[in-house]
Amino acid sequence: MSVKIEQIDACRWRIPREGDMRTEGLVFADRAMIEVLQKEQALEQVRNVATLPGIVGRSIAMPDIHWGYGFPIGGVAAFDPDEGGVVSPGGVGYDINCGVRLLRSDLDASEARPRLKELADALFRNVPSGVGSHRRDLKLSLPEERKVLKEGARWAVRNGFGRAEDLEHIEEGGALPEADPEAVSERALERGRDQLGTLGSGNHFLEVQIVEEIQDAQAAATLGLFAGQITVSIHTGSRGLGYQVCDDSIRVMLRAAAKYGIALPDRQLCCAPLTSPEGRQYLAAMAGAANFAFANRQLITHWVRETFEQVLGRGPAQLRMGLIYDVCHNIAKWERHEVGGRARRLCVHRKGATRAFPPRHPETPALYRDIGQPVLIPGDMGRYSYVLVGTPAAFGETFGSTCHGAGRVLSRHAAKKQARGQNTEAELAARGILVRAANRATVAEEIPEAYKDVREVVGIVAQAGIGRIVARLRPLAVIKG
Amino acid sequence: MGRYRLLEHTADIGLEAWGESREELFIQAALALREVIFGQVAVRETRPLELTLSGGDDAELLVNWLGELLFHFECRHLVPAGFILEFSGGELRARVQGEDFDPARHPVEREVKAVTHHQVLVEQTAQGWHGRVYLDL
Repeated sequence: MSVKIEQIDACRWRIPREGDMRTEGLVFADRAMIEVLQKEQALEQVRNVATLPGIVGRSIAMPDIHWGYGFPIGGVAAFDPDEGGVVSPGGVGYDINCGVRLLRSDLDASEARPRLKELADALFRNVPSGVGSHRRDLKLSLPEERKVLKEGARWAVRNGFGRAEDLEHIEEGGALPEADPEAVSERALERGRDQLGTLGSGNHFLEVQIVEEIQDAQAAATLGLFAGQITVSIHTGSRGLGYQVCDDSIRVMLRAAAKYGIALPDRQLCCAPLTSPEGRQYLAAMAGAANFAFANRQLITHWVRETFEQVLGRGPAQLRMGLIYDVCHNIAKWERHEVGGRARRLCVHRKGATRAFPPRHPETPALYRDIGQPVLIPGDMGRYSYVLVGTPAAFGETFGSTCHGAGRVLSRHAAKKQARGQNTEAELAARGILVRAANRATVAEEIPEAYKDVREVVGIVAQAGIGRIVARLRPLAVIKG
Repeated sequence: MGRYRLLEHTADIGLEAWGESREELFIQAALALREVIFGQVAVRETRPLELTLSGGDDAELLVNWLGELLFHFECRHLVPAGFILEFSGGELRARVQGEDFDPARHPVEREVKAVTHHQVLVEQTAQGWHGRVYLDL
């Protein structure tokens, strides 16, 4: 079904308010992207989100928007508890706090290249990836798992997995304070127990990269980035624990929506008022799952550092593998924003979108106060990823948000079909990109052609002024589940 | 005769199933879920599992049924093979037979994160029962 949409400028489109919509939609895209989007249901989903009670500002979609469940992937929406605003598990997604972090190093690519194969093999061995794999030296008791839910990355650092300064460079300091382990089901705890410190599969990855191009020298210097440098990206989330929290919550929310008389254009948009017991319960459980994800990425970080030290035979002081930043892609958070001339405390849902706070915002880390919060945008395994920083324009227009990745264009079936007859791993190796994967089916489904060119997505973000490009990174070795 | 097919979705995957009875539809959906995870795979019937499930309607019950099988695979390492199903009132009673997950015999092709409620459908038609569900991968 075609959705009515009006062009505002080269990269902004408005879905006018009509029917049950309480506000209008705002989509960041170019004309070609809009034509593709009209063929699927993503724009309809932007419109559906606009019907939810207590929505403040517009129902927003980033240029990596694609068809999701309930909310579109690439969706941002804020809700005011004082106006009947709701929280929706479908506005966060199954992989709660799926996110990405970027590590810097003091290595020039020329120093790592001779050992790259060894490095890829060791990372693949040391960081569990793929279904069912986990580190045998990490046994988590139930009481300890509950502490992970409460303390997030702080738990990891307290147990020797990383450094105290890492926490300063994680969104929310690596732990959402609202987490309540008691709000998380036994089943979710069971699903998560063996999965802490695992990458998972699908689009999740661990990537050794080279800084290919610096676009903003001052910001890059502040972040500690230089051309030719080795960096490492880690993209994963809360694993089975988060999926189960979402699943459990949707069952509760289906009944809650009926109980509170909320009309749902789509079951998957089920929600409850932020002030209701169901809403509070979800936020407490979601925060626990988010903290699990922060701890997950922190453990993997520790094993990445260990692996670099072992393979390259250098100590931490020589490698200087510091955490640049860690951002959430799928989250709902309490934040203060000025809307309609007054400061309000809102619950901002970001589903496949990244927080992008501006320079001098109190939650932008002290080291980055002059440049803005780092924003990490992974692309696909054959091309490139980007580092951006948040802007005042994003704070004003998108509740301080920007895109989160490239977004798929090919279904898994179509990607697999396209990959048939080609040896993706050999082709990437010929271009200097080593791939280590738990199975070949994943590689076929994750071929670069399955994704939009992230350069185009980031280009729209930069043109719209809701993010500023700092650097482009290119993969050298990719670990997939 | 029941059957199923996998549906295209830009980011994920869906499944559509048919059966002469509601039981057969649910069994076909379970086999489709297994194919999404493992591809075509031979599974022995060496380990039983008994389940009783409920849901607000047939559609919710289908989501809960597949979600339950996913949980038992992920946490209890059961790969399902044979099914005897019985609906009574709003409940589904299932006797599942399967075997212990063995990565050598059941190589995993995809991780399924969850069974979603997005456009979920269970309907009785003149030809029998038809259902559809989307999986988050």
